[in-house]
Amino acid sequence: MVPMKTVEPRPAPLQHALSRQGFLRAAFALAASPLLRYVPAEAAEGLEASEVAPGIFVHQGRYELQSPQNRGDMANASFVVGTDAVAVIDTLGSAVAGRELRSAIRAVTDKPISYVINTHMHPDHVFGNAAFKEDNPTFVGHYKLARGLGSRAERYLAINKTMLGEEAFEGIEIIVPTLAVEDSLNLDLGGRTLVLETQATAHTDNDLTVTDTATDTLFLGDLLFSVHVPTLDGSITGWLALIDELGRREAARVVPGHGPHAMALPEALQPEQRYLAAITADVRQLIKDGRTLEDAIRTAGFSERDAWKLFDQYHVRNVTAAFAELEWE
Amino acid sequence: MDANYNEENGAMPFTLKSLTIGGAAALAGLLLLSPVAKADEDVWPTLRQQAFGDRTIQAEDGMVVIEIPGTAEDAALVPLTVRVPPQVTQNLKSLTLFIDKNPDPKVATLAFGPAAGKGGERSFSTRVRIEDFSYVRAVLETEDGTLHMASKFVAAAGGCGAMQAKDPDTESVDLGKTIVKVFPPALEQSPIWSAQVMIKHPNANGMQLDINTANFIPARFVKEMTVKRGGELVFQMESTFSISTNPNFRFTFGRGPDNSLDVAITDTDEARFAAKAGPSGS
Repeated sequence: MVPMKTVEPRPAPLQHALSRQGFLRAAFALAASPLLRYVPAEAAEGLEASEVAPGIFVHQGRYELQSPQNRGDMANASFVVGTDAVAVIDTLGSAVAGRELRSAIRAVTDKPISYVINTHMHPDHVFGNAAFKEDNPTFVGHYKLARGLGSRAERYLAINKTMLGEEAFEGIEIIVPTLAVEDSLNLDLGGRTLVLETQATAHTDNDLTVTDTATDTLFLGDLLFSVHVPTLDGSITGWLALIDELGRREAARVVPGHGPHAMALPEALQPEQRYLAAITADVRQLIKDGRTLEDAIRTAGFSERDAWKLFDQYHVRNVTAAFAELEWE
Repeated sequence: MDANYNEENGAMPFTLKSLTIGGAAALAGLLLLSPVAKADEDVWPTLRQQAFGDRTIQAEDGMVVIEIPGTAEDAALVPLTVRVPPQVTQNLKSLTLFIDKNPDPKVATLAFGPAAGKGGERSFSTRVRIEDFSYVRAVLETEDGTLHMASKFVAAAGGCGAMQAKDPDTESVDLGKTIVKVFPPALEQSPIWSAQVMIKHPNANGMQLDINTANFIPARFVKEMTVKRGGELVFQMESTFSISTNPNFRFTFGRGPDNSLDVAITDTDEARFAAKAGPSGS
């Protein structure tokens, strides 16, 4: 079997994202937990995945835009091992990276990979799907994922071909869910059940959350960003409302779509909530004052600039989307 | 327009027909949809000939100024402003906006009426889709019949194929809802006032795939808008799908005895929408 060793939780990203009090509580919670074991998963190209709870493995993506060097490995991807089957939750941003994820799974278990779950339509979470075709899994996602991905497929493929380069782009396919979740759905992996829930429009219009009942682990996909600036492709008011709701939930840990392997509720949500609330307040004031989109992209939310990675890459787009939404209030 | 575009580029509804939702469909063929061949071609000589014939166009003579980001963060929603500086004292006849490399390069043409006003800076702003790295141009015709052009190169890509609607279900709920706002100037005697019109409309360009039907979502966009102040024409605009989803316009008009605005809109399905507003924004 794969050797396992204990590693210290990584305080740096947490510290970056949390209040001091919240940080201490979260760090304590993680340090007190025996769960953050490390699986080197040295097979193949050596994609690392940490076991954050028994049978729950999380690979942490880089805080980067896609590039030939990172091969689309810039989001978190997880897998859950039951007594009968394995479920993959997001597949990274290329077939190449997806294959590395598959190798990491095979380094841990020989059980069949029966489900590939996509938390939403974005390429850094779905473009690795093709790597699992040989397992003939059920591809599972929000019932609106196919529409959203379909209408953007041409642009997603073109952009990623440019940014990843030929080598890392090789083998990417658009694979939409074969099992669409309308409201909620339970997947039995043997000894544990995954509860899949569709959410109202927030990060996108096809966000899906996953709860592992055995360990009380909540996978939030890109409903939770930490360190990496949030990206808005749905509804800023919807997202803030959902954060309120998620913050009242109780889970042993949450896994973000971008950020550390595992975090604690409700602190994990606070930086993201602060960021989205800052944009909302600034944009609403500008609209009230009769100001324009051009004014907004120069000023709104810039108090958050030092709090996030990739702020310069995504913030103006976020403000643009927020303005186009909030001006209809 | 978009049908011509597809033919010209050898685009391929054929491949898409074979797409099945449950079949782990490979849409890789969609890459072929990307605009081809035209990348380095200078289309402006042809465009200008079609629009203005052999008439002289004075470029960058300061009569008209264009403001647009040099790099568009969201190519489906790029803010564009055209200004006519206050030292230009003539009445304005027309304004035509172009994005050279868009499927339909002509974005909009405005024919101004007596209520367009003068005696201060006049401006027109909207938000556009930009399909490829391209020049964006504004050609202004003044009442003496001369043509003046400002242009700027913009790095942006994929704005037309991009689906701008974040949530198509809520976007389609209030289709046609139109809001008009009049912004009285700080000094009410100022001869130039400003206003805004926003229309809830997908402005669909026929280039987005509906994966559930394997067909393209049909084009449907605002093609005409007439703005009147107290019954007098401010401008009449003809527009294309280069205008972003939920079309949004900020513009100036000349102060009159009655500063309420009437706006009438027609889309390509011949649906008509109308709205009005007084200076209080009622």
